[in-house]
Amino acid sequence: MTTIKTAMPGVIYRRPSPEEEPFVREGETIEEGQTIALVEVMKNFNEVKADQSGRLTRFLVEDGDEVAISQDIAELED
Amino acid sequence: MANASVELPPARYDHGGDEFVFVELDRAMSLEANFKAMAITSALQEENLEGVLDICPSNASYLIRVDPDRLHPAELVRHLEGLERSVAPLAPDKAVRTRVVDVPVLYDDPWTHETLMRFRDRHQDPEATDLEYAARVNGFASVGELVEALSGSPFLVTMIGFVPGLPFCYQMVPRERQIEVPKYVRPRTDTPERAFGYGGAFAVVYPVRGAGGYQLFGLAPAPVFDRTQRLADFEDGIVFPRPGDILRYRSIDRSEFDAIRDEVERGTFRYRIREFEFAPAHFLTDPDGVNAQILEVLYR
Amino acid sequence: MSTRSGEVVVVRGGLHTTVQDTGRDGYYSLGIPPSGAMDRFSYRVANMLVGNPDGAAALEATYVGPTLEFTDDRRVAVTGASAPVTVNGEPVPTWQVLEVRSGDVLEFSMLTAGARLYIAISGGVAVPVYLGARSTYTLTGLGGFEGRRLADGDRLPLGEEEIADPPRVGSAVEEALRPDLPDVALLRTMIGLCSYRVTEESMRVFTSTEWKVTKDADRIGYRLHGGRFDFVDREPPHGAGSDPANVVDLGYPLGSIQVPGGDEPIVLLNDAVTAGGYATVGTVVSADLDRIAQAKTGDRVRFESVDLRTALEARADRHARLERVRRALREQGAHA
Repeated sequence: MTTIKTAMPGVIYRRPSPEEEPFVREGETIEEGQTIALVEVMKNFNEVKADQSGRLTRFLVEDGDEVAISQDIAELED
Repeated sequence: MANASVELPPARYDHGGDEFVFVELDRAMSLEANFKAMAITSALQEENLEGVLDICPSNASYLIRVDPDRLHPAELVRHLEGLERSVAPLAPDKAVRTRVVDVPVLYDDPWTHETLMRFRDRHQDPEATDLEYAARVNGFASVGELVEALSGSPFLVTMIGFVPGLPFCYQMVPRERQIEVPKYVRPRTDTPERAFGYGGAFAVVYPVRGAGGYQLFGLAPAPVFDRTQRLADFEDGIVFPRPGDILRYRSIDRSEFDAIRDEVERGTFRYRIREFEFAPAHFLTDPDGVNAQILEVLYR
Repeated sequence: MSTRSGEVVVVRGGLHTTVQDTGRDGYYSLGIPPSGAMDRFSYRVANMLVGNPDGAAALEATYVGPTLEFTDDRRVAVTGASAPVTVNGEPVPTWQVLEVRSGDVLEFSMLTAGARLYIAISGGVAVPVYLGARSTYTLTGLGGFEGRRLADGDRLPLGEEEIADPPRVGSAVEEALRPDLPDVALLRTMIGLCSYRVTEESMRVFTSTEWKVTKDADRIGYRLHGGRFDFVDREPPHGAGSDPANVVDLGYPLGSIQVPGGDEPIVLLNDAVTAGGYATVGTVVSADLDRIAQAKTGDRVRFESVDLRTALEARADRHARLERVRRALREQGAHA
């Protein structure tokens, strides 16, 4: 099992906008390069992408949480 | 008006860290304070002092950016104190050569109207437009009367800043005739490029689209900032207005607005500019007379 | 030596990577801030390492380093924030003169400390000089590379190497001479400007609070959270506007701290607005602007009240440290 980390600090969001569905739900299979969350910092929303494919078993952050550089965002099963 | 002249307190000198010197001439706005800021900063400009990087005249203060490795900031303060004693902005024979410029404005235009309606929840009076609100709090019977007052007397560019090319303009009328409005309760996140806004006692033209807290009164068809320097008035720089310019925000109608927009698009637009010998002391004794003369020179 | 193609390819731009130098002077009064490298010490050392003259344009990358592919032989140095760096996948040291050849790829992993990386390349980034500088001011899109942050696929022009005997490849800056990147950055500050607008108690809170850097922290300014300011009651002076935080619009020093709403102060930095109508309560001294530049969202900063003499001493200390780096590099020998 591996984790997906964020490269930047900021506030994390799991959906593209408050009205929309989350990018990914726990238990779903994702592809390498797929966006799983946004991090808001420096007045921009930046995509957090999966660096490998697999099944996203669990999110380790809540919508609106503050995150630090290299913090684990989600767990991934090969 | 001669006896209504504002007495300025002694200037207050302060350091903005080791790289800036800030000089407050007054906490309240007045033409007297601005004339003093202009006189001291122009004198300093001419001296070409080693280590002075930026000279910024402001509304009722000024700011100097200094390289402390070449000029000790405390020494700069002593020097500025000397200038304060030696310049006499209101000496009877003191006159400055400046530009008088016709700046057309479409007051109550559809574009700023659309913007201000989107941000009513951030305004003091969500039920009125910015113009209606400003007319009411300044005791005008109608928006038309307010526009007449804005368009009637010229404004002095008392500072450039905030963003590149934004002119802060103070109307050249006695204090009792100054129009004053609060800024938005919470700033807007959007303002159209070239919007004519008003906040405190200052009129501005927003050079670029962006956030803003000033009341929105209209839209100027011609730019104050042109990064591409396409228009002839921007040949020497990307910013058109200069501190000390006298601008007349002339009320125009939609067809003139469209015609000017067309000229701007084609790159042929030029501001109407006239040279003017401006004597601050004379102005303070007879503002209406000097203003009439300014408009006469501008449209001669 | 291969022929000089005079370009470096930006394979990945990172998050916010811009071309910066020492910034522009002389346009503040038109509302154009100086821009320039935010951590001036790290920027200067990067240039020294690769043998560039002081003031050559380098890259400043915030939070995420770019991926660069070289198209000719160059010397490169990475300073500023800490991050694992590789060339063609092999780890290489930071704060050291590296040699790259055509086809080599410089890449970064996630930052481990600090916020801003500086990447100097021998010859300097040769974007056109605009209003006296090569610095990027993204807000109105002027200077630098097309007035914007770098994007994937950009090709940056590089200049000719100018210095005859640059530091030897492998020359390094010893740890003691590098900036510390503490969790709580101490910012020496000259209190003043419009501090008369807030109560004495609020100013005490200001200097005793550990302020948290919010997500709104960029080259324009750092918004901080952690305490609040109470304003002194007054009749608003003519022209200021009615909000207690309003003053008659005035010039803002770079490094000044404004208190718009009373609750979240903003430290104005290299790309900030040059003027406005909010009270400012003091100015961070120039030497410590390097420190705030390396503070990241989520970090904490503290303000310490100092006088002009201390501010100038801090500046002299930084200068002396730069000279020690210069001397140390010279002692390690010149490039063959």
